[in-house]
Amino acid sequence: MFKSLNVTARVFERQIVQPRPSASVNSVRQFYENFVPSCTIYDIDCPDNSFRKITDDGKYLISFSRNHQELIVYRPTWLSFSYKGEDCDSDALSQRAKRFDSFFIHLYTVSLATSNEFICKEFFLYLEGLEFGIFATSTALSHEAPATEGAVNGVQCIERIVFHLVRLEDGFVLDEKVFCNDFVNLNHSMGVFLHEDLLCIMSLRYQAIHIVQITDSGNLVDVRIVGTFCHEDDELFIGSHIQVTEGQIFLSGIKQRLLSYIFRKHWSEETDQTLRIQHLKKKFYFHFQDYIDLIMWKVQFLDRHHLLIKFGSVDGVVSRTTEQHPSFFAVYNIEKAEIISFFQNSTEELYYLYEQFCDHFTASSRSSLHANFISSHSNNIYAFDQLCVIKNRASNFLQFVKKMVSSLPYTCQSQSPSPYFDLSLFRYDEKLISATDRHRYSTEHPIKFISRRQPHILKFKIKPGSEASGSDARPKRISSFLFHPYLPLAISIQQTFMQPTVVNIHFRR
Amino acid sequence: MAFLMGDWPSYDPQNFSQIRPSDPSAQPSKLTPATYHPTHNRTVPPPNQVITTEARNILLRQIYQKAEDKLRPKRAATDLLTPEHGCKQPRGDFSNDP
Repeated sequence: MFKSLNVTARVFERQIVQPRPSASVNSVRQFYENFVPSCTIYDIDCPDNSFRKITDDGKYLISFSRNHQELIVYRPTWLSFSYKGEDCDSDALSQRAKRFDSFFIHLYTVSLATSNEFICKEFFLYLEGLEFGIFATSTALSHEAPATEGAVNGVQCIERIVFHLVRLEDGFVLDEKVFCNDFVNLNHSMGVFLHEDLLCIMSLRYQAIHIVQITDSGNLVDVRIVGTFCHEDDELFIGSHIQVTEGQIFLSGIKQRLLSYIFRKHWSEETDQTLRIQHLKKKFYFHFQDYIDLIMWKVQFLDRHHLLIKFGSVDGVVSRTTEQHPSFFAVYNIEKAEIISFFQNSTEELYYLYEQFCDHFTASSRSSLHANFISSHSNNIYAFDQLCVIKNRASNFLQFVKKMVSSLPYTCQSQSPSPYFDLSLFRYDEKLISATDRHRYSTEHPIKFISRRQPHILKFKIKPGSEASGSDARPKRISSFLFHPYLPLAISIQQTFMQPTVVNIHFRR
Repeated sequence: MAFLMGDWPSYDPQNFSQIRPSDPSAQPSKLTPATYHPTHNRTVPPPNQVITTEARNILLRQIYQKAEDKLRPKRAATDLLTPEHGCKQPRGDFSNDP
């Protein structure tokens, strides 16, 4: 949109130039090319907490104490200091300004976990409008799970998982939801999906999806549990009509819906009566036991009434390489209790839906301004180019499809909305840093952010770790990055085995 | 003398000094804009039409569309040959050879 690269010229241009319709945010974001976090304070003296995230509205920095029992919240702010002297344009930043609390004001510390429980430091979900945060505490993981009725064998067990709803303004714990002798995948919030005010929690052990609503007053209200029963009154109906004896007679409600959908789909594929029987034998009955053995792995909302459920085998739950095991995806309508669609993970159809409508899989609400502008291959030509490069390079298209589709169901709030990750503005090495908040191995070279518009012009560098780090063989270093959603401010945390953690702050001077 | 430009500042006070309003009685407030009336009613919307945003997002619409296509039993071969558009007329048999 802007003809000039100079920030003053751009400000004047902005007064008269109208951005393209519906692209005002994308156009105004170009100002971030002029304001970059190029200054680094290395190894800042900060409290020894594990920093989790800067919330998407930029109001809170969430961190946990080292003993994983306390929640510590800071307010991101900007440094201000007064300079006594004449030459206040001098490059050196006052030593007193280079402090952690110049950038982050401590708001409060709240104890969430009691004696034998620990806060899961990788779990955090944020409700933007109401400023509520959802945290999880759990007891230790036990691999020998007692075989309880209704529980799937082979899934780990946690004695007690508690989800806490906290009002971040003051740290008041509003409500809690407890799961006993269950297992929910808390790593990177993968077992829970938040869509507007609805939360769906995947209980792996009991194969149930708990749909919970967060009210404005701060209560966690159970809406439905999809699993054994699908409609709200199923349990009552079955209880009043059938004498349930020891042991389950019926397959779970969701499994029945799935099997009947698969049956009807194969039934309608063939019109000739005799061929139909053969077709069903081959496609349905032959795999009947496999379908029965499937369990739900992961779930997400596609909108308020639809869930995308990933099914797979029991072995695949624990293993990290989920691509080896065949998995299936089903779209489920909660209100009608119907399966709408069912795909295997190698289906091209599912891949093309993912390629074209990737943004809709993130199911971000319309009210969230920042989340709608995260670069993806559906909304950004450079991301799409990268995807095409990988696609063309892949020797086996089926493997490529499986790999792409393995990122579904989407893990909510896993990407940073910072404009510095916008692929239309900057080019950076996605293996070293990206919008997704995962730990990465760090190199000794700083991570470069190169401008898109002016190729080969380096805009800024992010270097985790201490300023003078040599290239001698060191144990592997892991870095993580927390970017503020709209200020030119970022924290990089570098952890080395048996060495103190190094925290740097990158900002614009 | 009141004219359209009023007392607006200008670099050169001589600018616009030659303008005279063409018709003193045609004040801007009295001019009514021309109204246009349709000459046919072929494109009139139905009287009870309400335009709203589709509640379902495009991804779900695609999924439902594909699901309906799959679950609909395949048409018998003869069905595919019948014209789908009402405006097309089937050709009559040609009795005389060219």
